[in-house]
Amino acid sequence: MGVDNSFGPIDIAISGLQAQGRQMKVISSNVANARTSDAGKGEPYRRLEATFKSDSDLGGVKLDKIVTDMSDFLKVLEPGNPLADEEGYVAMPNVSLPIEMMNLNTATRIYKANIAVLKRYQQILETTLELLR
Amino acid sequence: MLKMTGKKDLARLLLFLFYRQGLCINIWEQLMAKTENIMDLIDAGIKAETLRQKAIANNVANLETPGYRRVDVKFEELLARCLSSSGEFDLSEVEAQIYRPKQTPVKSNGNDVNLEVEVGQMIKNSLRHKAYIRLLSKKYSQIALAISVK
Repeated sequence: MGVDNSFGPIDIAISGLQAQGRQMKVISSNVANARTSDAGKGEPYRRLEATFKSDSDLGGVKLDKIVTDMSDFLKVLEPGNPLADEEGYVAMPNVSLPIEMMNLNTATRIYKANIAVLKRYQQILETTLELLR
Repeated sequence: MLKMTGKKDLARLLLFLFYRQGLCINIWEQLMAKTENIMDLIDAGIKAETLRQKAIANNVANLETPGYRRVDVKFEELLARCLSSSGEFDLSEVEAQIYRPKQTPVKSNGNDVNLEVEVGQMIKNSLRHKAYIRLLSKKYSQIALAISVK
């Protein structure tokens, strides 16, 4: 006989919390680097995006990978900037703050929803345990 | 499914319920065949849960310690192995063990503790602990009832 290590409701909710925690990490990196014109590779910071996946039907959620957003960089007129081209334009990251704020809101809501599931399931089990009193 | 016979119905039902919820292993039937002492099982369970609580506290305390790998307690697997082996065995010999799973992804400082995972483990642990404590108190009240009968 073996031990049942399959995902229960608690593990699934925790996997959601972990996933949203990583999503927040990505968002905070994007926000912090919203004006990083040099990311080390001769070009500005590229916006990151986290993708999620689910391995099996009831296996919870997993962070698949963190991909870079390949959309065009923002061109800002800054003739005084040493990184500016002949016309005075500087390439800035393709981060859009309103979008990041929206993603942050979504991530927070999902995190809280997972907490709600966790709390409710804990309550259910506590009522089951009340039968033993 | 369960056969509802004998005096341990409620406890049996609860363990079964917990098994269905994925919180404990389906040990009851095997255990009843091998040993008649529920107190020993509850005792071993409470010991394991206490040790696991310590392990979780240690993990949370070392949340940002560079190079720290999380520790976990192995008990259910050992119990299951004992139950599937042939012949008699002594429950008090099934000791919970501390080990390092080393399966979770490591952060940049060499640490692999995740607060969310520890919280989840703690919730599961406290629920199991509560179940064992309630079963024990139920057993004690059974004994008290037997003593009080004149």
